[in-house]
Amino acid sequence: MWTFNAAFGRIFEIIFLPFRQASPWFGMILISLLTGLLMLFIFRHTSNQEGIRKAKNKIKAHLLELRLYKDNMRVSLKAYGHILLANLKYLSYSAKPMLVMIVPVLLILIQLNLWFGYRSLDVGQEAVLKIKLEEGKNPFQIEIAIEPPAGISVETPALRIEELREIDWRLRALDKGVHTITFRWENQSFPKQVAVEQHRLSKISAVKASSSFFDQLFNPGERPLLKKLGIQSVEVVYPAPGMNLFGWHIHWLIVFFALSIIFGFGLKGFFKVEI
Amino acid sequence: MSEPIHRRDFLKYSLGAASLLALESRSNLVTRTFGKTATNKKVLILGFDGMDPHLTNVWMSEGKLPAFKRLIGQGGFRRLGTSIPPQSPVAWSNFIAGTNPGGHGIFDFIHRDPKNYWPVFSAALTEEAKKTIRVGNWVLPIKGGEVRNLRQGKAFWQILEEHDIPAAIFKMPANYPPVPSKQKTFSGLGTPDLLGNYNSFRYYTTEPKEIKEDIGGGSVHPVYVIGNRVDSKLPGPANTFKKDRPEAEIEFKVFLDPQNPVAKVAIQDQEFILKEKEWSGWKRVRFSLIPTQSVSGICMFYLKEVRPNFKLYVSSINIDPADPALPLSTPSAYAAELEKRFGPFFTKGLPADTSALDNDILDEGEFLEQDDFVLQESKVMLDDELGRFDSGLLFYYISSTDQRQHMFWRLLDEKHPAYDAGLAAKYGKVIENIYREADSILGRAMDKIDKDTIVIVMSDHGFNPFSRSFSLNTWLKENGYHVLTNPFKLETGNLFPDTDWSRTKAFGVGLNGLYINQRGREAEGIVGDGAEKENLVREIAKKLEEFVDPKTGQRVLLKAYVAKDVYSGPFVGEAPDIVLGFNRGYRISFGSPLGKMEKNVLEDNKGKWSGDHMGAAEILTGILVANRPILAEAPALYDLTATILDVFGVEKPRDLIGKTIF
Repeated sequence: MWTFNAAFGRIFEIIFLPFRQASPWFGMILISLLTGLLMLFIFRHTSNQEGIRKAKNKIKAHLLELRLYKDNMRVSLKAYGHILLANLKYLSYSAKPMLVMIVPVLLILIQLNLWFGYRSLDVGQEAVLKIKLEEGKNPFQIEIAIEPPAGISVETPALRIEELREIDWRLRALDKGVHTITFRWENQSFPKQVAVEQHRLSKISAVKASSSFFDQLFNPGERPLLKKLGIQSVEVVYPAPGMNLFGWHIHWLIVFFALSIIFGFGLKGFFKVEI
Repeated sequence: MSEPIHRRDFLKYSLGAASLLALESRSNLVTRTFGKTATNKKVLILGFDGMDPHLTNVWMSEGKLPAFKRLIGQGGFRRLGTSIPPQSPVAWSNFIAGTNPGGHGIFDFIHRDPKNYWPVFSAALTEEAKKTIRVGNWVLPIKGGEVRNLRQGKAFWQILEEHDIPAAIFKMPANYPPVPSKQKTFSGLGTPDLLGNYNSFRYYTTEPKEIKEDIGGGSVHPVYVIGNRVDSKLPGPANTFKKDRPEAEIEFKVFLDPQNPVAKVAIQDQEFILKEKEWSGWKRVRFSLIPTQSVSGICMFYLKEVRPNFKLYVSSINIDPADPALPLSTPSAYAAELEKRFGPFFTKGLPADTSALDNDILDEGEFLEQDDFVLQESKVMLDDELGRFDSGLLFYYISSTDQRQHMFWRLLDEKHPAYDAGLAAKYGKVIENIYREADSILGRAMDKIDKDTIVIVMSDHGFNPFSRSFSLNTWLKENGYHVLTNPFKLETGNLFPDTDWSRTKAFGVGLNGLYINQRGREAEGIVGDGAEKENLVREIAKKLEEFVDPKTGQRVLLKAYVAKDVYSGPFVGEAPDIVLGFNRGYRISFGSPLGKMEKNVLEDNKGKWSGDHMGAAEILTGILVANRPILAEAPALYDLTATILDVFGVEKPRDLIGKTIF
């Protein structure tokens, strides 16, 4: 899974490479355009284009019928029935491409979360660092040593929360860079990245997760933790930046879906895709 | 007369319920300084609240205030005549409007409502929505609802604006809500917190019994540590969108480590870790009112103790300058512009929590840590404003000089009833240090400005000890001017609960105000206007001036000012009939201004609020320092207003009473 994550993640690094120092909007517009095109491609090749066209035409025809015979109750009701049926047919034709699309779109979203979901720490800024243990583990029975690099200071002793199976510390960023904190526990050690004052469009891994399939799938930014450690995740709680639009902060997910749909619908005629 | 500020969105706050109804529109447009090209003259005014001329002279002569000495060397130093009474809202209003209180209508922190004798805040009025509609449990405002600045007369920056002279007015007291202007202004003293109060800290502890129940300026919340976790709620403003106006609140959790003195606070979508005796810095909280409306505030958490007793202090929730729910600035976008530049900052009028220190919630060191945040913010923002200051007038206000003198005078003065030698060894130099800090602020400002800029340093009043408290209403009772239904029933509460108004001739409301129970003016007045009232006023004033403290042998009041003798202007009729001018060391008691009948006329003040400035104006002058020769021998606050207009070549309006000092 890690090999796939690393390879798939590299694609996004290449896509965003020209925009690292620019406003995140440039990267967002490009990835939304590419995603819109991908969705069109999938839709075109996995859907029954002819069936969709016919279903839409039927809907249009019965809508016209409704307007023409609005005084005739029997015809109107019949037209409603036909519209309903055509709609169901349209939805059934759309279901397959939608199902096919879910997988790549989900993978894209997971990657985009690394780029747009978090803002790196400013120098001087503090953050919570959390270790979440696996079910059945008790934070009081574990003595984890934390070794911060020069650019990061750990300001508090360990805060152990039994009910959450959590061990927390407070970090403070001292210097810019992508720093690596090392944790040591019973002859084992593992690293965790902490990003400080990175470019506005940067890949930031907030969570280093266990090696279970879904944990790896949803947290592809860093190599997973070894199973034997008994740790579910290590997380740095970064600020969530949002996309700034004329002073309004909008969640990147909303911007992404809005732009992808706009691009998809805008280009469907050009690529002759019936949606 | 200042016009009411009409909000595009409905909003209001009310004194008791802290009603808060709506949000301000959001805009990040950058504001521009008004009238940018009008003048090449520059005037910088630094206002240090409560800086005392005697202390300034003492520490200057000891070489501890080099910047002041340097500035005086370039111009001059004078005692600055203050207002009657020398209370900050009154004094700063004298400066803003260029008149005495008879011209601007602010006579005290607190006025009385003649309809019911109740105390009301003098500086701002919040009006309820005139029209609302009810939808189930929701109450939706349709029309009206506003908060108004009650100060009358034009502010000097409004006059400058009419002549296209730019001005930036930062945290001017008695300017809440800020009067309409295109100039950049930010409100100061008088600005409430998000709840509409002047202070409302929260203190969460497992040991509430150590805190007295009658706590002013905040509330104590008993909590329990269960499984190393504390669950509680942070109360917010009254939700006026709902029937019965329930308090909006936010749940939060605190996770404690069982051994290490450290805790994690989880509130809304944020979590942060604090060690014992650590401040959190600003945290933003948002109170949801109805699905489409919420208000944002900022507050600081302080983890005072993890164990054996859990103690967590949360500051007053300041109005969020990034998204102000109540008017803070002109233009309205200026507050957000400042927040963008500096991050969250104190917006409450008096930011340091003197109530928490007074009630032993914070100790001296903790209070100073908090006030250092205030000071640090002020210094950073002043530096930035000075960097942008290229034309017109810049006024900048510092509150810490006033607040620290109020709270630490007891440790400067060995004769003070609350003097503590141990604390004095540690904190005895707090006041000296804040004067030195003021000096360093002045020094940095002088280094940043050019030689042609006129620099004026001013304070609104001086300071003196508050060693003995005087209960005016009890004195009036003992002298037969105030009658109770049961003369032995004292200490029953505020708002004159046992007064027999049909036999009462006079009463005290506010920190310096004495009112005659005048027929036709007060709700149940019995004293006729004209000679009857005049004779009574003179009689009471004479008796007050003759009253001697049996413990010290000193007169309690130096002056009992008769309003019509000392005020001029269209609002003299709204003044208290007599304004108390206390002798050095004396001040009104804590209960009397709110209509409480205390047992004793005079008592030692053993509280931490130990320095004050409610005395006779003659003994509480402020300071005036400038880098130009000061020709006026006895300048007063309203003379500075005339001076500002004169410097910029603006003709003084007829209702301004001052004269230029240069």
